[in-house]
This record gives sequence, C-alpha cells and structure tokens, in this order.
Amino acid sequence: MKRIGKIKSVISSARFRVKAVAVGVTATLVAGVSACSGGGAAQPNNVISYWLWDSAQQPGYQQCANLFHKENPKLSVKITQYGWNDYWTKLTAGFIAGTAPDVFTNHLTKYPQFVDLKVLRPLDELPATKDISDDEFQPGLGKLWTGRDGHRYGSPKDWDTVGLFYNKDMLAKAGVSADRVNQLKWNPQDGGSFEKTIAHLTVDTHGRRGDQPGFDKNHIAVYGLGGLSAGDNMAQTSWSSFAVSNGWQFMDKNPWGTHYNYGDPKLQETLKWYFGLAQKGYAPKYGAFSDSFGGYNQFAAGKAAIVEDGAWMISSYQTIKDVKWGIAPMPIGPTGHRAGPLGSLADSITTNAKNPEAAAEWVKFLSSEACQDIIAKAGVVFPARPQATQLSLQTRKAAGVDATPFADMVDNNETFFLPISSFGADISAIMTPGLQAIFIGEQPVSYLTDLNQQVNRLFQFG
Amino acid sequence: MASHVVSPAGRPTDTASRTPSGNRRRRDDTRLALIFIAPAAVGFLVFLIWPLTRGIYLSFTSFNLLTPAQFNGLDNYRRMLLDPVFWNALKVTVEYVIINIGVQTIVALVIAVLMQRLTRSMVVRGIILTPYLVSNVVAALVGLWILDTSLGIGNQLLKLIGIGPIGFFSDGPWVIPTIALVNVWRYVGYTSLLIFAGLQTIPGELYEAAKVDGSSEVQMFFRITMPLLRPILALVLIISIIGSFQVFDTVSVTTAGGPVNASRVLQFYIYDMAFGRFQFGYASALAVALLIVLVIVSFIQYRLTRAGQTDLA
Amino acid sequence: MTTLAPAEVPTSNPPAVTPAPGHKRTSIGRVIAWIVMALIMVVTLAPFYWIIRTALSSNSDLLAHPSTPYPVGFSVDSFKRVFGWQTGDAAIAAGGSGQSINFWLYLRNSIVVACLVTAGQLLFSAMAAYAFSRLKWRLRGPVFAIFLAGLMVPAIFTFLPNFVLIKELHLIDTLLGIALPGMLISPFAIFFLRQFFMTISTEVEEAALIDGASKVGIFFRLILPMSVAPLTTLGVLTYITSWNDYFWPLMVSYTDSSRVLTVALAVFKSQTPQTGPDWAGLMAATLVAALPMLVLFLVFARRIVNSIGFSGLK
Repeated sequence: MKRIGKIKSVISSARFRVKAVAVGVTATLVAGVSACSGGGAAQPNNVISYWLWDSAQQPGYQQCANLFHKENPKLSVKITQYGWNDYWTKLTAGFIAGTAPDVFTNHLTKYPQFVDLKVLRPLDELPATKDISDDEFQPGLGKLWTGRDGHRYGSPKDWDTVGLFYNKDMLAKAGVSADRVNQLKWNPQDGGSFEKTIAHLTVDTHGRRGDQPGFDKNHIAVYGLGGLSAGDNMAQTSWSSFAVSNGWQFMDKNPWGTHYNYGDPKLQETLKWYFGLAQKGYAPKYGAFSDSFGGYNQFAAGKAAIVEDGAWMISSYQTIKDVKWGIAPMPIGPTGHRAGPLGSLADSITTNAKNPEAAAEWVKFLSSEACQDIIAKAGVVFPARPQATQLSLQTRKAAGVDATPFADMVDNNETFFLPISSFGADISAIMTPGLQAIFIGEQPVSYLTDLNQQVNRLFQFG
Repeated sequence: MASHVVSPAGRPTDTASRTPSGNRRRRDDTRLALIFIAPAAVGFLVFLIWPLTRGIYLSFTSFNLLTPAQFNGLDNYRRMLLDPVFWNALKVTVEYVIINIGVQTIVALVIAVLMQRLTRSMVVRGIILTPYLVSNVVAALVGLWILDTSLGIGNQLLKLIGIGPIGFFSDGPWVIPTIALVNVWRYVGYTSLLIFAGLQTIPGELYEAAKVDGSSEVQMFFRITMPLLRPILALVLIISIIGSFQVFDTVSVTTAGGPVNASRVLQFYIYDMAFGRFQFGYASALAVALLIVLVIVSFIQYRLTRAGQTDLA
Repeated sequence: MTTLAPAEVPTSNPPAVTPAPGHKRTSIGRVIAWIVMALIMVVTLAPFYWIIRTALSSNSDLLAHPSTPYPVGFSVDSFKRVFGWQTGDAAIAAGGSGQSINFWLYLRNSIVVACLVTAGQLLFSAMAAYAFSRLKWRLRGPVFAIFLAGLMVPAIFTFLPNFVLIKELHLIDTLLGIALPGMLISPFAIFFLRQFFMTISTEVEEAALIDGASKVGIFFRLILPMSVAPLTTLGVLTYITSWNDYFWPLMVSYTDSSRVLTVALAVFKSQTPQTGPDWAGLMAATLVAALPMLVLFLVFARRIVNSIGFSGLK
C-alpha cells in the first residue's frame, strides 16, 4: 500500500517540524514572560515622573533635574519625552487608566479641557507652590493659567509670541531696508505699507515683481508672505495678530469667556483682506503647499521672503543653511498698535500623582531662577521670569539672533491672550473646516456669522 | 498545499478500496472542538466581545472618559442622524472604499496570476511585498512629500509633460482618490500574496489538461482560476473591505480631514470625537454605525460570493 | 505524481488562434504580461528610490532642494542617528531630535513581541480553524459566524478596555502586555486558515482515521504539515504586521525595557506641532526597520510558493 508508506514518511518529517514549532513557541513564551520582569512595578514614591514633548528642551530640563536631586537627595525626577501627537494620546490614556505622570508640560490649547475634566491638581493647595504669585512672571502669564474657580492650574515656565521672519538677502535685493520692515503698517482697505512691501517682494516665474506691470499672479517663484493659512479657532501664526490690531477681540472676556465674536465685522474685513493676499498672488493659495510644508519650510526652500512665525521656531530657523535672516515685529494695525498672541507653556500636576507634595517641589524648582536660568542659557525658549528672559535674549544675541522684537512686544503691552474657554476642541472642529471653506472661496466671508452662531450654541447647551 | 486529484472530470481512483462509511463512528466532535477553540475563544471574549458590548452600551450614554457615563437613551443616535458631518463622512468613506478596493483587488489579482503563471522569480515576489514593510504613517509621509503641489517631484514630472500642478492633497476632488491610491500602493503586495497562496490550492493538472484541450491563458483564467479561487478571493475581499472602511492613519498624516470635509472619513471623525473632543458616547454611536455598515456589507458579500463553500473539496 | 510548483511558463496564444500543442514561441500575450509586470515593479519601487534618496541627503539641503532626483548634501548621518551613534547637539544640528536611541534593545524587543504574536496566532488560529472546518459539531456554523463578526469590531471600542485590562493584569510596560491581545485571537487568521483547510480532501483524513489516528493526531501530523504554505504565508504576514504595529505598543510601553523599534523610531517624526519630521532620519529608520522583514520574507519565500510534493491518492 503505497499510500500508507507515503503517509508515514510525511508524518515522520512532520513530527520533526511540529516538534520544532513547539520548541520555538515555548522558547518565545519563556522569553516573553521573563521580559515581564521589571515592568509594571509602581514607581517608588520619591521618583517624580515628568513628561515633555520638545526634545530640544530635554537636555536643559535634565540639567534642572540633576540640580534638583542635588538639592533634594531624597527625591529624583524621571523625564520622559514623547512627540507632540503621541504625547496627548498617551496622557489621555494615562488619565483614564491611572498611569499618567506626576507632572507634565501643559499647553494652552489643551489645558482648558483638562481643567474641565478635573484631572489637574490646584497648585495653590500644595505647600511648595501655594506662594507662587503672578508678579514673578511676565505680565499676564499667571492669569492665563488660572482657572475659572480662581485656582492656579499651571506654573508658567515660558512664553512666546509671533513676529515676521524675513530673508535679509531678498530684502536687500528688493531695496527694502530693515528700518522699513520694522515699521510696517496695514489696514483692511488697501493693506498699507505691509501689502506694498510684500507685493514688491513677490517675484513671479518670469522675474517680475508683484507691483510691476505684467505680473503673473498664477505663476509665482517667490512669495512675499509665506505660510498664509486658513488657521483655526486660535490662528496663532496666521490672522489673529491682524484681527486684534484691527480692534477685534476673540470673546466677551478672556480667559474663560462664554461668548465668541467670530462673526464680528472687524474680523470679517480682516479675513477678507488676509485671504485676498493669496488671490493677488502675494501669498500661497490654499494647497499650494501641503500642511507639512508650512511657512518655515517655504522660507527654507527659498520660496518665501517673509513668514509670520513664532519665537519657538528660532532654533529651527538657525538650522537653515546659507540664509541670513532677521526678525521684525508684527505690523501696526488701524488701532495704531501692534498685536501678538501671548502663548505659554506651564507645568501641571495631575490628580493621580502619588506624591503631590514632592511633585509640587519639582514644579516650584522648575519655575525657580536656578532652573529658568539654565533654560535661558540653552537658548531655545523665552523663560517666564523677566530676568531669565533677558538672559535668553543675551544668549541668542551671542548666537547672532536678535530676538528683541518679541520681547519688545511684551514690554509695550502689545500682546493679547489666545482664547481660553471650554469646548476648545469642539470650537476648533467647527472653525477649522469653516475657515478652509472661506479661504478656498467655497463660502463668502459672511459665513463667519453662521460659524459663530454654531460656536456660541455650544455654551448654551454644553 | 495538498495535492489531490479532484478534477471536474476525474474521480479518485481507489474509492473502491475505502471501508464503507457505516464502519466509521459518526461521533459528535463538540467536546474536542471546544478544546480546540478554547484559546482563541478566551482571547475573543476578553479582547473583542467585552469591549464590543461595552462600546455598544456607551453609545447610549454621554461619557467624557473620566467621569462615570450618564445614560441618555437615543440622544446620540438622533444627533447622528441629523449630523451633516456624519453623512458626509459616510459618503466620503464609501467613495474611498470603492476606489481603493476596486483598484487594489484587480491589480492584486493580476499580480498573483502573473506570479504563478509567468515567473518563478523570488526577486519579483520580494519586490511586490516591499511596500507592506513600510509603516502606514511613513507611506503617507512619503506620499505627501512626493505629491506636494509645489515642492513634490510628482508635479515636477507632470510639468514636463505639460500638465499643470495638481493639488493631490489639497484639491477637493483629488484628495480621496490620492489617499486611496497611496494605500493601494501599500497593500497590493499583501493582498496579492494572499491570493497567490490561494492559487496554490488549484491543482496544476487542471491547467495542463486545459492546455492540452487548447485553452488560452485568458480562457484558463476565467474558467479554472476564478471559480476555484472563489473562497480565497471572497475572504480577501471581505478582509480588504473591512480594513478599507477603517482607514485612518493616512488621512490623519496627510490631510487631517481637509480641505473643508473632503477627506473626513468615518474613522477619523470617530477618533477626533473620542480623544480630541472627549465625547466618547457620541463617538461610540458613530462606531456602532460603522459596525452596522460593515456587518451589512460583509453579509452581502459572503452570500454573493458563497464564500462558505468551495468547489475543490 | 503531481507537483504544484508554479507550472513552467505555458505556451499561450491569443484566444482567437488554436495553438498547436507543445509549440513554444514568444507570443504577444507573454510580452504584454511582462510589460505589465515591469510597470508594476517600477511603480512599486519608485517611492523606495525616493526613500533612499531622502535618507542619504541632509535635512537642510532637502528643504532647499526638495525635488532634485539625486541625494542632496550626501551624508549617512541619518543612518548614524537611527543606530544611536549620532545624538545630542550633533543630531540637533543635522535636523534630528537629539534623542538617544538604544537600537539593539529595541530590535530585540520587536523580535520578541513579533515572535510571541506570530507563534500564538498561528497555533491558536490553526486549532480554531481546524475545529471550524474539519470537526463536526452542531454549533459550528453559528459560532464561526460570531467569530467572523469579531473582524468588524471597530478599533475605537477595543483600545481603551484592552488598555485598562492590561493595566489590571499588571502587564503595562511589558512585552507580554504588548503581545497578549494579538496573540490569542485573530479572526482573520482563523478565517484564512479555515478556507484552506476546507480545500484539503477528506479522503486522506478518512484514511488516517481508519489507520487509527485520533482527530488531534490528524491535526498535528496531517493537516498542519499539509498546510505549510498558507501557514508560512500567514506567519510571515503576521510577523510583518506585528513588527510594524505602532499605536498599541506605544500605549503599553513606558520605558525602554518594553519599547519596540517602531515606537522608538518615532523620534524621527515631528516632535512639536510646528516643526516637521527629521526627514532623512525618518527615511533611514524606515529602511533599517524594513530590512529584517525583507530578509525574513526571502528566507521563507520558498515555503510560501512551493508546496510539498504530497502524493495523495495516485
């Protein structure tokens, strides 16, 4: 019976194979289980876990942590870094499952939501941090991080605002002086000297400038103003500066307002003018560059002469090869003043921190002069304390960057608060597609009234 | 794969020597079956069924993930039916699935057949699978880079043949087809490998016999390959469609749902609602809607393709 | 004796002409087929050329010259960053994030997790597929339908409950915690293997039963060996899928001890909302992470495409 013989030979070879598989499975199971050890154990109570996302700042904070440990030998800090997107997902999952860190870097756009969800511990109830006062920081920062109930939920550690980054070579070639770019004015009717300047800086593919006859607005080689975007509910690096310098306000009161003003005529005329710059060819239309190639990338690729960008981007601009650049303040608006959004990061303590008193010690240390000076010397951000800010400016000057236009805007009271309110994510979900529709031209600027109604409805039923 | 002579024309030659079936104990294998499915069943109940039931329950509540859920009856479903973004998401997702699966299945089928009939080269097979080795997110980023409107090489090449720059990821009508094709690039190797494994079950003698009878490759494809491939092809289709309906990574990396809502697919809407806006109850209702769509589509497919039966055994 | 290795390249003619048997010549059909194949190869590989080109460029030059066809500012620094040999300030200057990377540890972690998931899935799914296709029991149909429904559970439902469960089991930040959900159940694998098991003829099985084998014995000694091709295919694909899995391992791991390669290499993606990714590093990381998988596939490719020359009943 040939058949049985053949089956037998299959079985014998198969038996070997099955044995091999069984051994393999057992081996990996053992390896897997042994890899278990060391994991899942709870942190001992005197190790404070601290999260941040900006990898460029991590070395500075590690130095602070080392210093903290020297001064408090019983306590130590474990710093973990996750990239921006993963950071918030892991944080949220951590809140839900109880695996959140003790202290984490908080951001203005996410912090109102966390306050409403009650996952942040009031700092004024903990011994180490209850004496923090608003006067220690740049004006306004402390208020930004205070909740509706008057409790302090974040200890500010840095601040930023926006300005105009300009390509010195392109400006020189166009005959635009640094003085001129520092004194630009704009208005919603004709754009003022701001629009004239960026028109002059725009060059089409035939070499003609934006204010010359025969300018082809559909084929641009270099945009006068790069990084134009639809923005979102905050529009931090797009139109908010212009709108506020036109006399517009986000809400009835800020922070913690309950009525937005997105439908206001002052905003409508600002956006009509702002998006109009793309129609005229001085700025990229929607989709000319994908979201991954924002203002900074356009600037680096030599496709834009001026870009509105934030102070946090200075170290990125420093990596651009072969381009000399400078910083100018935002243009003066019809109100006669400039405006720049005041952004800020702060450290917050979570409600599931196992040792909140120790966590508060760390938070206190983070905002102390010692740590803030370390951060200032690293030259990546503007620390929240005025003295450390000066140190940071000096560090940057030594590296060849004049960042005083940013600091001047704070000193001249030309900054405004980004909108802090409940329902931030829902408002963004309404405004972002809506603004895109207006930018593309699917909807007229008056659509803002409709959007505003949707936004304010959230507060009626939320 | 097993070789056995079961051609439409032939019959096994030594049936006669088989013991009559009356001698075989026809016993019920229930106990044995339960042992065999035990590990999978444990995983199934714990990691799939329990979350599913919990999810369905949550769709009738208002839940922000951190405070206890509050029952709110059919409110979420009422809101969903009136939500234009939901209906748009459904429409956009269906568009995506049709383009993605349509192109992917046809190309994968062609590749699998070519791999079987045309060339035995390992190099070819390796090359076909390489896009699957890249993660979803990286494939999307590469796509973004290559197809950027102003800076991408795709549009530079198009300029050479005189076509103006196309906003692959920013022009409303182009966005969904572009994302669909990026994912076709990524998954076609995987799909064709599955189909190829299925092709292995078709006995070679059938092709030889058909050739002797004078059939061409194309005729053999439609008369032998397609019918006998049906169970595997049906499986691949069902799996692919279910996966396709849940597209997320590519959208979130490239367009984040834009422009306006042109690429706001259902899964993206669900995730943003759940983890961005902390409205987990509503997000669960949306997910239940997705589940219902998937069940209906899979059921229809399963019946239409008679995936439960095979012409071979 | 039959073999099911892909047949020798057949002669074929356009349908309209009746061919003479055994007549070999290059036909239009074959040429077209080869052209199609070549086109597919080109489309498949073209983005890889771009990946390699970007990996061998330096970030600052990439921004300045985004679409030149050859690498700009040629450097292998990106690969150095991937292996953890360029960290700190040097990395930041080159456009990277400066994080330290313990490459070989992460590689080991990925291997362990992928092995666990693949071994578990193959064995348990094959067992279940056998029960659904070759064993006779009354509830077979309905239970299979329920298992199938598991394919369609939206991921949003499973993520949080599974995360909380893994935490309750104290498996957070462990490799087993990462592998566990995927290890036990995969409706796809069960479905896939069942389709294959159904095509195995019953005569062989019946013959073995007559010879006194038990159903369990048949499973391990007959069905499994006869299914090496689909099992290998499934195994390779599962391994690759598990290797590239990102979201779940990200959630479960908190320290280096359980960090897998894909999660670790996320340092090359953009770290802040305003800066872009470390393009060169990201592309280099992609290549490095994909290489073991390519090797794995090539090693097993023979198994996937060839069958065992099983004689069956001739």
